[in-house]
Amino acid sequence: MDPSIILAAVDVETAGAYAETAGRAMGLGLGTGLAALGTGIGLGYIFGKTIEAVSRQPELKSEIQSIQWLGFALTEATVFYGFIAGLIAFFV
Amino acid sequence: MNRRWYALAAWLTIMAGSLLAAPGAALAAEEFDPASEFALPTWIEIKVFGIDMSINKAVLYIVVATILTTVVVSLIARNMKVRPEGKVQTTVEIAYSLMKDNITDGNLDPKMAARWFPFIGTLFLFIWFSNMIGYIPLPFNTSHTMTIAGIELPTFALYAATANISVPFILAFIVWISYHVEGIRAKGVVGYVRGWVPAGVEGFMVGPILLIEALSQVVRLISLSVRLYANILAGHLLLLFMGGGLVVLLGMGVLGSTILGLATGTLAVVFFLFEIGLVATLQAFIFCTLTAIYLDGAVAEEH
Repeated sequence: MDPSIILAAVDVETAGAYAETAGRAMGLGLGTGLAALGTGIGLGYIFGKTIEAVSRQPELKSEIQSIQWLGFALTEATVFYGFIAGLIAFFV
Repeated sequence: MNRRWYALAAWLTIMAGSLLAAPGAALAAEEFDPASEFALPTWIEIKVFGIDMSINKAVLYIVVATILTTVVVSLIARNMKVRPEGKVQTTVEIAYSLMKDNITDGNLDPKMAARWFPFIGTLFLFIWFSNMIGYIPLPFNTSHTMTIAGIELPTFALYAATANISVPFILAFIVWISYHVEGIRAKGVVGYVRGWVPAGVEGFMVGPILLIEALSQVVRLISLSVRLYANILAGHLLLLFMGGGLVVLLGMGVLGSTILGLATGTLAVVFFLFEIGLVATLQAFIFCTLTAIYLDGAVAEEH
């Protein structure tokens, strides 16, 4: 394909002016989104394992649940590290 | 019981009225900016040796949380009864049991628990009250004003002291200093630093491991503060965008805005319940649990 079609469709002069903002926005979006990916997997593991553990040892339910919330909060925080890094990329 | 319902009804009426009046007037003046929720205009300017110590919204929120932590809880404690009447004492007893049995005694040995329970308990209550008053709309948004009966009043807005990095950072810094001091007091400087290296590491590997462990001590400070700050900030941003910010930013005309507003408004209610039901308490809990774990790790014999 002839690349000049794309270049003709996009005004290079204006695109250049927005390139930095676009890059920052992508940094914020990708940073938070990828962090959310990992956090989602981690949270799924925690709750899945909790369900497994409780179904094996129902009498330990309350103990397991208090550890579960500890793990939940620790894992959930990782998405916010990505988010804060994204905010730094966006604003600084 | 009746009086409480009247107070709630009056509060809701004021809220609904200001909700209907304020954004409409602000939109008409083309000055509604969702980001102003986090703006901190100076109220009373104070400069001490060139350091800006002005009173603003965040300071007010800290003061309110401090008053709730000290005065209200002391009053409840003074009016304790052997046979609990009403829900207040029961709630406080559940909170006390959480702080005492779960957080402090569950992670520290009895001597350390007795020494650090007042600190950890206060920390828990302060963070919890800071988070919770952050979800009550209070009339402190001086960036926007509404005019009721000729008087200019600040609009209602959500803000939390813990959604400002400086507050969680200082709390985390106090914790950080405390557990280092406690560790040095228990084992001496050399013994404490040696304690960072896990048992079984010998020879030339001690240097790199010590470096990594020293780095992880600094990361603890950052992770402890950023966890609380970012959780509350993200919650507030979510509520801000769902509760109208998105509609204003997209500006899709009357019909589009109405449809989008109804959808995001419903989501805002769900997120609001999630925040007050889980996040506010859980973040206070996790901050204090980690404080207890760090304190225990600093004085523990075996690493």
